[in-house]
Amino acid sequence: MNKSTEVDIALGILDHQLVDSEGTNCGKVDDLEIAGLDGDAPEVVEILVGGSAWRSRGLLGRLAARLGGSAVHVRWREVEAVTSVVTLKRPAAELRLNRGDDRWARLVGKVPGS
Amino acid sequence: MNLKKVLAIALGIFSAIGGFVDIGDLVFNTQAGATFRFQLLWVVVIGVLGIIVYSEMCGRVSAVAKRPVFDLVRERTGFGAGLATLVASEVVNLMTCAAEIGGVAICLQLLSGLPYRLLIPVGVLVLVVSAWVLPFRWIERAFGYLGLCLLVFAVAAIKLHPAWSQVARGFVPGSHTGGSLLVYLYFVVGLLGAAMTPYEVYFYSSGAVEDGWGLKDLGLNKVTAIIGYALGGFLSFALMIVAGMLFLPRSISPQFLGTPALGPEHVFGRVGLLLALVGIIFAVGGAAIETSFAGAYNLAQFFGWRWGKKERPAAASRFTLSWLAIFALALLVVMTGYDPVRLTEYSVIFSVVALPLTYLPILLVANDYTYMGAHVNGKLANFLGVFYFVVILVIAVAAIPLMLITHGGQG
Repeated sequence: MNKSTEVDIALGILDHQLVDSEGTNCGKVDDLEIAGLDGDAPEVVEILVGGSAWRSRGLLGRLAARLGGSAVHVRWREVEAVTSVVTLKRPAAELRLNRGDDRWARLVGKVPGS
Repeated sequence: MNLKKVLAIALGIFSAIGGFVDIGDLVFNTQAGATFRFQLLWVVVIGVLGIIVYSEMCGRVSAVAKRPVFDLVRERTGFGAGLATLVASEVVNLMTCAAEIGGVAICLQLLSGLPYRLLIPVGVLVLVVSAWVLPFRWIERAFGYLGLCLLVFAVAAIKLHPAWSQVARGFVPGSHTGGSLLVYLYFVVGLLGAAMTPYEVYFYSSGAVEDGWGLKDLGLNKVTAIIGYALGGFLSFALMIVAGMLFLPRSISPQFLGTPALGPEHVFGRVGLLLALVGIIFAVGGAAIETSFAGAYNLAQFFGWRWGKKERPAAASRFTLSWLAIFALALLVVMTGYDPVRLTEYSVIFSVVALPLTYLPILLVANDYTYMGAHVNGKLANFLGVFYFVVILVIAVAAIPLMLITHGGQG
């Protein structure tokens, strides 16, 4: 897969579901970090997930980004496959993509049957 | 087809019938009958056909792409439009959930004689515990089956011996008597909105994914959507006919959520009243759970979180907290003492405004070969889908002006 094909595919996966190596949903492709746009070999280097990644997504995105905290950066080399979803090579926890559910799990976990 | 499969389909249909009526149907069908007798029955037919068309599409998308509607809304429309849809749907879900809770509390009050404000948190607690404890399929079915007590309205409608020729004329749109044209149009919009509420399609499509639907379930999807909703529509006819027979001649304006139950009471006495109230509690209570879940599904699917009743609540903690928060906020709204009938009217009218944002992505995705392959919309589904989308656009534009001009159908 050459670099420009890689960028085309990547742009086509904006807003797609991210799934970790265990098959668990772990966010959306909120933005992409692309290097080398000035030259003839642009390259996707990172997927940005959550929070500040929404800043580049229009007026509503800018407003949402103010409430969303910092984005998680996932290196492109962590991508296992791109189908109708983007599958990652490792579990969400290793990529810091489960921090939202982890944060609230302690609270919910106090309820019987959780 | 083996017996087990027939039974599964029958159970699905029963729960769809019992779960069809919610607070919006109850309020608008009864008020329409009390104002225009049977003249608006044709609108129920159009509305029911609309929800069948779009639910079938949603179920098909979920079965083929294995993904629920809101998951695809953002993918298909982008972040900005998706977020706008999310905000609109959450506002409408919250209003609808609050209205449903108000309905449950009023029926509990009529059954028990206890104070309304005490019964609001009691009702919410029972609903939250049910939603927490019961598996997904049983939430849908338990409330759906007990909601079948509403069939007492259908029997009452027959026992009241309406002039069936007049009833038949109600299925043909035409000139009207009994109120101004604007009030008539307000009820047209309200009845369509009540039949095609957005949360129903969100819940239906997420439910299909929760139930693990695949290609083998495409037939089940068609049968459940078509027969379940169509038979459920008969309950709407019954509500309108009962109101037209009993409330219109006596100039009773059903401005109280308990008023519809007086119809079965008139025909069957206390048993009729009891069945009607129990039916309303479970139909409306089930809808309250569905709205809170629809809100949580949408949030989770927009942001890509773990979601679903199949997940442990702590593992999908943001999804769990979302539906609990919707219940909590709805509880606060109802506790303000705001009239639940007014709340219902606002929730239905505002949901009409949000309808295009809900239905357009469904139509687009159901036509997308990337997701649907050979199961994209056929000519009939597309003709009906586009026809209903135009209807939705027209009523979305007309909804709020009509509500303001007619003072919520008061003329």
